[in-house]
Amino acid sequence: MEQEVLTAEKKNVDPNTSSTLSKAQIAEMEKVQSLTKIIYSQFREHKAAVVGAYTILFFILVAVFAPVIGNVLGVDSESQNVFARYKPPFSRISVAMDVREEMVKKYMANNPDEADVVAKELIKEDFVTTKQPADALYEWSHYEKRKAMAAIRLLNIDADTKVELRNLAKRFETFHIFGTDELGRDAFMRLIYGTRISMGVAVLVAIASSLIGLLIGALAGYYGGVIDSLLMRVTDALISLPTIPVLIVVAAIDLQKIPGVSSILSVGNESILKLVFILCIFSWMTVARLVRGSILTLREREFILASKTLGATDYTIITRHMFPNVLAPLLVSVTLGVGDSILFEAALSFLGLGIQPPTPSWGNMLFNAQELIYEAPTLAIIPGLLILFVTISFNYVGDGLQDAIDPKTIKR
Amino acid sequence: MINFILRRIVQTMIVIVILSYVCFGLMSLMPGDPVELMISANPKITAADVARLRSFYGLDQPVYKRYFNWVSDIATGDLGYSRTYRIPVEEMMGPALGYTFILSITTLLFSFAVAVPLGIISALRPNSRIDYTINLFNFAGISMPSFWLGLVLIIIFAVKLKWLPASGFQTTGMEYDTYWDEFVDKGKYLILPVLSLSIQSIGRFSRFTRSSMLEAMRNDFIRTARAKGLARNVVVWKHGFRNALIPLITIAALSLSSVFSGALITETLFAYPGAGRLIYSSIMGNDYNVAMVSFLISVSMVLIMNLMADLLYGVVDPRVSYK
Amino acid sequence: MKSTNIISAFIAVSAITFVVGASGCIKKTKKKAETTTEATTAASTDATAAAGAPKLNNSELKIGMSQEFENFNPLIATMNATTIMSKLAMRDLVTIDADGKWVPQLVKSIPTLDNGGAKIVTVGGVKKIEAVWEILEAAVWGDGKPITCDDAAFAIKVASAATVSVGEKEVYTQVEKVTADPANPKKCTFLYDKAKWDFYQLGTFHILPKHLEEKIFNMYGAENGGYEKNSLYTKDPYNVGLYNGPYILQEIQLGDHVTFIPNPKWWGEPPKIKKIIFKYLPNTGTLESNLRSGTIDLISTLGYSLDQALAMEKKVKAENLPYTVLFQPSTVYEHIDLNLDNPFLKDIKVRKALNYAMNREELVASLFEGKQQPAVHNVTPKDPWYTDDPSKIVIYKYDPRMAEKLLDEAGWKMGPDGIRMKGGKKLTFTLMTTAGNKTRELVQVYLQNKWKQVGIEVNTKNEPARVFFGETTKKRAFDSMALFAWVSSPENTPKSTFLSTNIASAKNGWSGQNYMGWVNKKVDKLLLDLDVEMVHEKRKAIIAEVLKYYTDEVPVLPLYYRSDVAVIPNQLKNYRLTGHQFPETNEVEKWTLE
Repeated sequence: MEQEVLTAEKKNVDPNTSSTLSKAQIAEMEKVQSLTKIIYSQFREHKAAVVGAYTILFFILVAVFAPVIGNVLGVDSESQNVFARYKPPFSRISVAMDVREEMVKKYMANNPDEADVVAKELIKEDFVTTKQPADALYEWSHYEKRKAMAAIRLLNIDADTKVELRNLAKRFETFHIFGTDELGRDAFMRLIYGTRISMGVAVLVAIASSLIGLLIGALAGYYGGVIDSLLMRVTDALISLPTIPVLIVVAAIDLQKIPGVSSILSVGNESILKLVFILCIFSWMTVARLVRGSILTLREREFILASKTLGATDYTIITRHMFPNVLAPLLVSVTLGVGDSILFEAALSFLGLGIQPPTPSWGNMLFNAQELIYEAPTLAIIPGLLILFVTISFNYVGDGLQDAIDPKTIKR
Repeated sequence: MINFILRRIVQTMIVIVILSYVCFGLMSLMPGDPVELMISANPKITAADVARLRSFYGLDQPVYKRYFNWVSDIATGDLGYSRTYRIPVEEMMGPALGYTFILSITTLLFSFAVAVPLGIISALRPNSRIDYTINLFNFAGISMPSFWLGLVLIIIFAVKLKWLPASGFQTTGMEYDTYWDEFVDKGKYLILPVLSLSIQSIGRFSRFTRSSMLEAMRNDFIRTARAKGLARNVVVWKHGFRNALIPLITIAALSLSSVFSGALITETLFAYPGAGRLIYSSIMGNDYNVAMVSFLISVSMVLIMNLMADLLYGVVDPRVSYK
Repeated sequence: MKSTNIISAFIAVSAITFVVGASGCIKKTKKKAETTTEATTAASTDATAAAGAPKLNNSELKIGMSQEFENFNPLIATMNATTIMSKLAMRDLVTIDADGKWVPQLVKSIPTLDNGGAKIVTVGGVKKIEAVWEILEAAVWGDGKPITCDDAAFAIKVASAATVSVGEKEVYTQVEKVTADPANPKKCTFLYDKAKWDFYQLGTFHILPKHLEEKIFNMYGAENGGYEKNSLYTKDPYNVGLYNGPYILQEIQLGDHVTFIPNPKWWGEPPKIKKIIFKYLPNTGTLESNLRSGTIDLISTLGYSLDQALAMEKKVKAENLPYTVLFQPSTVYEHIDLNLDNPFLKDIKVRKALNYAMNREELVASLFEGKQQPAVHNVTPKDPWYTDDPSKIVIYKYDPRMAEKLLDEAGWKMGPDGIRMKGGKKLTFTLMTTAGNKTRELVQVYLQNKWKQVGIEVNTKNEPARVFFGETTKKRAFDSMALFAWVSSPENTPKSTFLSTNIASAKNGWSGQNYMGWVNKKVDKLLLDLDVEMVHEKRKAIIAEVLKYYTDEVPVLPLYYRSDVAVIPNQLKNYRLTGHQFPETNEVEKWTLE
């Protein structure tokens, strides 16, 4: 980069430039652009890809700030209300009494003095029927949200406590944009947390598997002969293995039993890591075959022969001359791979081998909902649509990148 | 060339044998066996029953012994019996394979019939509005979970509109007078599964057609051909499309590998009695013989398809040499 | 080669595979029974034409189920779907009816010690039972041959052979000898090897047509699995002589459907429906659309989950659909096995606290809308042995304060994060169950929440059913809790799950089903006494005592008794769900759509 800038500056001060052009124009024309800049400007021209990139960015932000969103909306993804299952979108639901009591219990434990004052006030103002200060707040917590708020407003207590109690009362009722699921959990928050899992798994798998595929495909395609036969037979073998039986077997392995692994695993993330691992094993082969196919044709090309005769090392030839040429199909594969992984996760969930509940993922939400697709269609349609949006976005970005990277499309 | 083919066939055979052992081993590594499945359903089965049944199925023998027995049976042409149904494996596999072939070939042909023209149209008019529209459609197809689409299709066409049956492969209890009747009846049941299965491959094929067509049309010889004054059709089909075929063949060959596992979910959703569903239920039900035979068939088919793809590579692209 | 040639070559390959596939399937569909003349005249309704409000009549009934049929040989079949179907075509000596009572089927009456049909005899110093089973005069096989004692004796002979894979063998081998009355080949005397009270419970004792199957057994019986592979039930399932029920088999299309038509030789009440088709629909999500489009008329017990049935019931009411959703409490007992080897669970106070902290009433009310019953112990309410008398057993009502008290007493003090601690360790358990079972996952999350409120952390870990049953429960590899169900039948001795000798271990080849590791010598003795106790009231007392220990020591956390669900058309009359292993199809001849 630095060097390029320097050369550009040098050229700028070149006295031999034609006088018919302004200096700025000359600078513009003769500036040596870095490859990333060219790619970036090319990418910008692909409208759909840009939209896709922003969509992905949006979903990444959603995934990263999931807890913040939960705090702002006052709902979390795990709290369940078994009395409000399968509620339609835009429902307001009163929170279960035991959950409220727990909130009050926590408040009382944290602020024993204020709680005592409030309890006495509640009894004094006859807002509660009980005469026991210990029970007063519990009884108050059983009121519906509006009544509870009204009671607080009329109490003779300091403002800070009022704010805190009002915040407490706010949580007596929850609002569900996408309704609730089979356990009365907020579908919207679960989708947001599902974004984390689904996208995380998919991106991880796509990157890891294409690296494996690139390596193996390049080795096989470039060296040919025994190495090619060996690697391609392994690839063929893996690609032709019926995935499901193997998946069932792999799913049976208890990762906890492998020494060393147990320390990084907790019960919660085991199924996620296992899924990433399984998907990686079964998704690098397509990339390998594509890379090998491209390199196979490249190998016979004149420029490769030329660099060979000039004494370039294999490493140089592969990384300098071949990789740029396979980059485009590779990127297509990576982007398709992200979508594929999301879809594959959904398919595995269909067999009960995917991400295990209660961890939400789009796949297992889709699966959970399909049983009652007539009653609660939103629960099935929305994860399906999210899968659609995100995968389309990844595909468009990949498409845009392909156009941008491919030297043949660069407009000069 | 012939030498190459022979060598590849031998290689393929070796791979099949190795894979069959690996798979046999994996299947026996799976937790549980037929006997366990029985006990879990019937608390009256005693420990003595378990031991007796286990030796009955030969489950008390080591894996390599069981594999050897199985292979020697296969070598004599005996595919064995299904443990669940007690009928010869070929009697089960035959019809199931038939249904799956119909389903996947119809899907494949349908996908090609739709995808190739779409891909070529968008490649010939890159960056036009029609290109963008087709592209959006392709991406939507690739990004759609097929069982989700299947459910949506069932709701729309079977429940709401009542145009098509929700599942099955023929009208139950129907007697056919003519082959045409049979064709129409069974065809009706194929529409929804084929649609839900092919949406993804249409998107995929169309995309590949487009990109390889674009690639091909950018070549110098196309420019030469055009400069020579050849008719546009000739340039597109003879020079462009021929070169665009290479990746398409790979994709077509590879997509046949999903004949078994790929159609599995769709077959389950639409209650279609194909091989995908059979292989799944035979594994879940621990029906070794059926699972192994379907495994062998699927593996051999994929390897043969790959071999064909490699050979066709050489035919369509003379620059690829076989050494 | 030109490019066009490549394309045509490719198409040719596809075409060949297509033809091969097509010919395979045509061959199969042409394979039909010869005895179809009667039924084919019945109108075959087109699936799509019948869309809309179904107008049913007795010419056809299509039943949807999510499990596949396997094999009709009654000795070998194990799956529920097969049991349901086979009762159309095959009947047994006795069965349990929808009211939970033992009733005769192929015999005139059930022999008991009281009615003189059975007596205790002593042979060689061993107490045995001798019972007389008299087969109905009119009872014949589908080809007109009478059913005799020979058929029962032959079934015992086949079931006892080591080369035949019979699951539950004891029901046959307990009969040492079958002797026919010289004057009456239908009057059979069974000599049982032990003086056990339940000798008459022969619901799973299936007879075989000796006149058809004997030559096959003689020919192939010596070869391992030879008989079952060559049995006529496998080779020629359309042979009418194999069946003795109100229906016979018309067509089997593996993986799709099985069709039955009336048995012309049936001696009992004539069946009303002229054709019954069982359609296999593996995905329960599509059952409703199949019902609405008329592909099926009825959803059998092997179909809907409870959630789906509840939703369907609401819809039936809201849209006034011509269906009824049936809920029938069954003998399936959902529970959590506690691994008593777990150091935390060794403390009985912790186990009791777990039990007090779960609200079974709220669980069934909120998750199941009260359509399933909360469980007290392993014996179901319909069982004659059932008791919920608080003076006999310990009853656990939801009492979180009691749970907290017990935990405090046990030394588990509330930690700062709401989880109880003792000696630096958190009170944490792992609750495992079968993955993909919605209802269980629902219960799991519900309980997790309940237990958290008293300071017990419970994580969930789910495995595919075959892993869960094949490895985890079998080898007692669950760390603390395993949620699953036991299928039982009325008056079923819990020996296999309660006896301390049935604790699964490497020593006994992991064969026991006492997954809890529960050792109670008194229970062991009581259960062994139960086998030879001939008086019903005394048996009841024994079981009550066993249940006292069971509920007091809490080796298992009871959850609820599952309900069977089915959706039937309003037109269908006399359809009764049984809730136990002997299915509703035992009364199929009474069903009518008129």
